[in-house]
Amino acid sequence: MTEISIEQFRQTAAKIETEVGKVIVGQGEVVRHVLVSILAGGHVLLEGVPGLGKTMLIRTLGQALDLKFSRIQFTPDLMPADILGTEILSDEDGRREFRFRPGPIFANLVLADEINRATPKTQSALLEAMQEGSVTVAQKTYRLEQPFFVLATQNPLEMEGTYPLPEAQLDRFFFKVNVTMPAVDEMVEILERTTGKETAAAGRAAGGAEIAQMRALARAVPVASHVKEYIARLMLATHPEDENASPLVKKYVRYGVSPRGGQALMLGAKVTALLEGRYNVAFEDVHAVAPAALRHRLLLNFDGLAEGVKPDDVIGELLKLMPS
Amino acid sequence: MNPFDELTQHLTGWIRWRRVRRGLTWGLRGLTLGLLLALLWGMAGLRQGWFVAWEFTAFVILLTLAVTLVTGLGAALWPLPRLQSARDFDRAFHLRERISTALELRRNPGLAPDDLRQRQLEDALAAARTVNPRRNLPLKIRPLEALLPLVLILLTIVGYAQSARYFQAAQQARDVQNAIQEQVETIEELLQKVENNSSLTEEQKKTLSAPLQQALNDLKQNPGLESSVSTLVSTGEKLQALTDPQAAQTIQALQQAGSNLAGQQGSPLQSVGEQLANGNPIAAASQLANTDVSQLSPEQTAQMAEQLQQLAQAVASSNPQLAQQLNQAAQALQNGDPAAAQQALNQAAQSMAQTGQAQAMNQAAAQAAGQMQQGAGQVIAAGGGQNAAQAGAGSSQANSGQGAGSGTGTGDNPNAQSGEAGTSPIPQNNQPGDGGETSYEQIYAPSLLGGEGGPQVGLNSGSGEQGEVIGQGPTTPGSEGQSLVPYTEVLGRYEEINRRAIENGQIPFEFTQIIRSYFDALKP
Repeated sequence: MTEISIEQFRQTAAKIETEVGKVIVGQGEVVRHVLVSILAGGHVLLEGVPGLGKTMLIRTLGQALDLKFSRIQFTPDLMPADILGTEILSDEDGRREFRFRPGPIFANLVLADEINRATPKTQSALLEAMQEGSVTVAQKTYRLEQPFFVLATQNPLEMEGTYPLPEAQLDRFFFKVNVTMPAVDEMVEILERTTGKETAAAGRAAGGAEIAQMRALARAVPVASHVKEYIARLMLATHPEDENASPLVKKYVRYGVSPRGGQALMLGAKVTALLEGRYNVAFEDVHAVAPAALRHRLLLNFDGLAEGVKPDDVIGELLKLMPS
Repeated sequence: MNPFDELTQHLTGWIRWRRVRRGLTWGLRGLTLGLLLALLWGMAGLRQGWFVAWEFTAFVILLTLAVTLVTGLGAALWPLPRLQSARDFDRAFHLRERISTALELRRNPGLAPDDLRQRQLEDALAAARTVNPRRNLPLKIRPLEALLPLVLILLTIVGYAQSARYFQAAQQARDVQNAIQEQVETIEELLQKVENNSSLTEEQKKTLSAPLQQALNDLKQNPGLESSVSTLVSTGEKLQALTDPQAAQTIQALQQAGSNLAGQQGSPLQSVGEQLANGNPIAAASQLANTDVSQLSPEQTAQMAEQLQQLAQAVASSNPQLAQQLNQAAQALQNGDPAAAQQALNQAAQSMAQTGQAQAMNQAAAQAAGQMQQGAGQVIAAGGGQNAAQAGAGSSQANSGQGAGSGTGTGDNPNAQSGEAGTSPIPQNNQPGDGGETSYEQIYAPSLLGGEGGPQVGLNSGSGEQGEVIGQGPTTPGSEGQSLVPYTEVLGRYEEINRRAIENGQIPFEFTQIIRSYFDALKP
């Protein structure tokens, strides 16, 4: 089952990060979280203002992973069939029949760019694919090739003509990663790289088979019972009615994290442990992935939204107060 | 070594160090707690009179040590579950849950594949090897925790230094209890002696035992200083009242007469005289009763009649009945009536035996009374009133006219020891040393206002060496005899002063009863 060693795991992961780093300047934490999500078999939602390299990051990752990559630019007039595919009338050898023409979802790595620009109907077309790894068109279900990842981006600023993702779909994203502005030195590097003669490109770092092996190894990482219990307590404490809920949770949270959030925490922590060179999960691993795993699953109430409270603040307080 | 065994060895070492650390930390807290408890409890005990000095010291030390040991050992030996300890060490040594995960994987191998489990164990072991428990988990003592015991020790020392009067009071109370217990034992011995005294009749034994038994019960039920002294003194007085001075005089007279009879060789009453001279009137009475006057020759009869008359004359003042019976017997002999003589002799012998028994009772009662008086003195002395006790005992002797007390007795009882009751009365004008009291010492000396060493106040020297005249008294001398004050007036004034002193608490409580008794005794 675990055909690769932890050293190979770390080397491969490091290689992926290195290759991505050839194109993407800085954003180490974003890259790490995206990598963790991929190695855990989850989908990622990247949120950030335009021009921060979200799309570039995912394209580069597609190059580094040597996976079948497709990009879908979400627009308000995008239809589900444009994503999933459709049956077309085929005339071969004088026989007319409907044949399924797969959409761009049939890839290993799907970039759903500006996902919140599409209508909810189109957004929901991704639901089955993300959760079940299959697509149903004209009463026929087609299995998607594994590994399958959806890496979506969204712009938090432009609210006009956007359709915020429903909670059910948000919950299907393993991590939500916030892409922030680079630092000055990183910005300088970006300017240098993007305005010169040559354009950097990422080389192949790993393939689908290796990714599958790495996912298998990550899932086998043991977690001590008290760490599991901590994850469960942390998850439950995001609910305002829980006895361990922090003051911020009680005041500003409407709904807490679903069990998927706990799963994301655990799997993310396992991958992080391996990336750190350990064969067991530590509390630090949980803390490292907690914001990315929980922030999009935490629904603030009116007060929270009105006062500009960020889910990360609530999560930060929870991590600080929750005894390990 | 097996990696898991090595890991366990590391864990055991860490747990051992943790036990030492906990033991020392909690031992120090126990020291603080023990000192605090000892201080509070000890001070409360001091005010209750529980401790004398060495007991207080021992109590503080032992309680402190006990609490320190209990808390220290308790903390050190407190059960430390291995898995929980491993989790704690993971945190303390920043081992990132390696050790606890390894332990859980050992307990439940199904949690991870074999190769991963093995790698995890090796990883945990490698991390464990880098740990130095003494460096990573040093023994830390908070300054406050170290300071508190020192402060408490200082407080204890100060408390000890300030508690001399409590120690003294406790010692006195202890001495009083011991003295009372001694008196209880003495009374029990006296009761046993009375019971075994063959010279006493059953009725006399009962009469003598009753006050002793009562005193025994009173001492056991109410073993306080004043009540004990009161019991002992009153019991002594009761026992004293049981003595018969007439019997003592009769015996003395019989002894003297008996000496004369014993010297008359071959006389009919020679053996009777010898017994009387030896102070054995009961045996003498028996021999007198056994004398068969019908077997006597006329000369012996005449001699016996004369001897009986001598005896009668000797006891005439102290025991007229015996004297009369002896005279009757002598008369009957002279009249040649042996039957009447025999009858009179038997009656005289009976009276003589009764006198002997009364004397035996006298001796026993006087001895017991002396013991009671002496015991009262010992109890008072134990309560800190030694001089007053002697004075009180001496006073009691003087009033009762018996040689009881702790001084040297002047009684003529050969069995009486120094300090025991004598049998002969002490004259009413006895001096210190004759009976009980040996010397007089001040027991209450009023001090000057401001104590000694106060500022010297002198009169201004206004004119000449004689100083300024600030007043002049009467120049006419009083008439002779006017300076005498009636005894009752003086006594009343002093009684009033005494009453006020007692009411104002100037007199120690244990002396109040003695002083009252003293003034009662002074009343005309």
